[in-house]
Amino acid sequence: MKWLALMLFVWAVQAQAGWQFGAPVDVLEGKPGVFPHLDAANRQGLAWSDAWVALAWEDNRSGTSQCYARFKASAKSSFGQEVRLSAKPCIEPVIVGLGEGRFAAGWEEDGAVWVAAVQPGKAGAPRKLSQAEAGQISLAYDPRGGLYAAWVEHSGDHLQLHIGKLEVAGDAIRLARSAPVETQAPTEDQAYPALVVNADGSVVVVWEDRRFKHTVMLVAHSRDGEHFSAPYRLIDVHRSLITGPAAKLGAGMGAMRPTVSRCGPVSMADPGDAAGPGPCVVTIWLDKRDFLSGYDVYAAFSANGGRAFGRNFKVQDSFGDSIAQWHAAVAANRQGRVVAVWDDDRDGSSDIWLANWTGKSYSDNVAVPGASGSGAQTDPMVFLDDGGRLHLIWLDQVDPDAPARIRYLSAVWRD
Amino acid sequence: MKRALALLIILFPLLAWGDPPQDYPFVSYDQGLKTAQASGKPIFLYFGRLGCAWCAHTNKETFSNPALRKLYIDHYVLVYVDAESYKRVTLPSGERISETELGARFKAFATPLFVYLTPQGKEIFKAPGFKTVQDFLDFDRYVTGGNYKTQTLPDFLGTLPSKP
Repeated sequence: MKWLALMLFVWAVQAQAGWQFGAPVDVLEGKPGVFPHLDAANRQGLAWSDAWVALAWEDNRSGTSQCYARFKASAKSSFGQEVRLSAKPCIEPVIVGLGEGRFAAGWEEDGAVWVAAVQPGKAGAPRKLSQAEAGQISLAYDPRGGLYAAWVEHSGDHLQLHIGKLEVAGDAIRLARSAPVETQAPTEDQAYPALVVNADGSVVVVWEDRRFKHTVMLVAHSRDGEHFSAPYRLIDVHRSLITGPAAKLGAGMGAMRPTVSRCGPVSMADPGDAAGPGPCVVTIWLDKRDFLSGYDVYAAFSANGGRAFGRNFKVQDSFGDSIAQWHAAVAANRQGRVVAVWDDDRDGSSDIWLANWTGKSYSDNVAVPGASGSGAQTDPMVFLDDGGRLHLIWLDQVDPDAPARIRYLSAVWRD
Repeated sequence: MKRALALLIILFPLLAWGDPPQDYPFVSYDQGLKTAQASGKPIFLYFGRLGCAWCAHTNKETFSNPALRKLYIDHYVLVYVDAESYKRVTLPSGERISETELGARFKAFATPLFVYLTPQGKEIFKAPGFKTVQDFLDFDRYVTGGNYKTQTLPDFLGTLPSKP
């Protein structure tokens, strides 16, 4: 019987492997008439920088939408005093860690995109990046590759994707150079870019694009951060695969809101699932290829820094297949762990769900304790720090008439 | 069933890419709410998206009907929302969201989705997917006749004489 007891013990230990979630804390209390938003390109409102956690959000407490940041020392349970980023109406702020407790924030303010160096308690002078009406900024940083911004700017009747190289000196950020990813004028909108800078200085950007008269994910890669490849499709099901008479008919599926992260080294049971070798990049997005159940969460990996992505993986499990998923985000760290989060209401009300990459597929989905159950938990943003800790923020409403609050929790992985 | 419908979606010829039907005075969601409150008309809210084949099919086969067009222009404030759009709308509460977020809140997970709202913006019912002219005529009777106040839509439709 001892062997049976041993097997049961091993099974029990294995069954308990997973994220051990801490207790949620309020980052921003709910107030009637105040609407906080966790919404940005790359869902990039949460960042980490050497023992500091930072988040950026927007709310309308002052009578207009303004952007704020708040910081927390990793060892502490609560967030400190906030820093206001904007002076005029502001939306969709993002934040990225620069190391040593410093961060860079970006946001849309008064029809332009801005960046500033920020750190606990203070913000540097804002720097305007755009030349025309612009928005949807995202940022990416690597200690060797540097700091980059991606945003969309009006060109004629449409939005065009721009990439800018930034330089940080103390509290100041300077725009070293910027240019559209494609030289020709856009024929339809390009939107919501998500950006990664690799340690070798290469840059990859994923975005929504409507040039094919439906929304697809496109990717462009640059070895030097300045000259980009011709865009290629991320999605492995598209009209070019439809043959016969049907090829002349029908429109494409919908896909939107890509998020992207560096990763690795990631376990990959089939190396062909991510072209390589090279820096690991993972992206997830909302995808309506199974249009009857709304958006699903799909993912793809690149093992060559974004020059090519492998096949698409469905992220949510079969219990979520008949339910629409929203607000998907990805996080990964240097240890090779990859997680995806989103919200869906398969259990009757909106909860935050999480799936881990297992090496072959995404795991069974987990409703995050503290971010699920009664009420509505929506709009998650997630970050994995290099120490292996998971950081999560989301919007929480106790009931449909209650004001929304921003909540945070962290988790550690237990094998 | 899903596969059959997925096959059907690529077999329908398309004249458009899922934009709102032509020659209908569709307005934005926030503009529509204001107009409805001022006019007292209910709202007909159409969620579509770029590339939505069933939207294009509905536009071609159903909304091209002149009598239906006149009826819906007369009876409703017509609102079109692109469920993938970053365009911003301001809700009566003062909250500013994107059209995509509005779609999430209405659970517009498959398009087209047609939502009937009171002039105050309260949802009456949703009708997902392709609908015929007769469907929309029946829905109109349910809404403008005030039947929704006392009957569910299935109960109301059950009282209608069966079509030949």
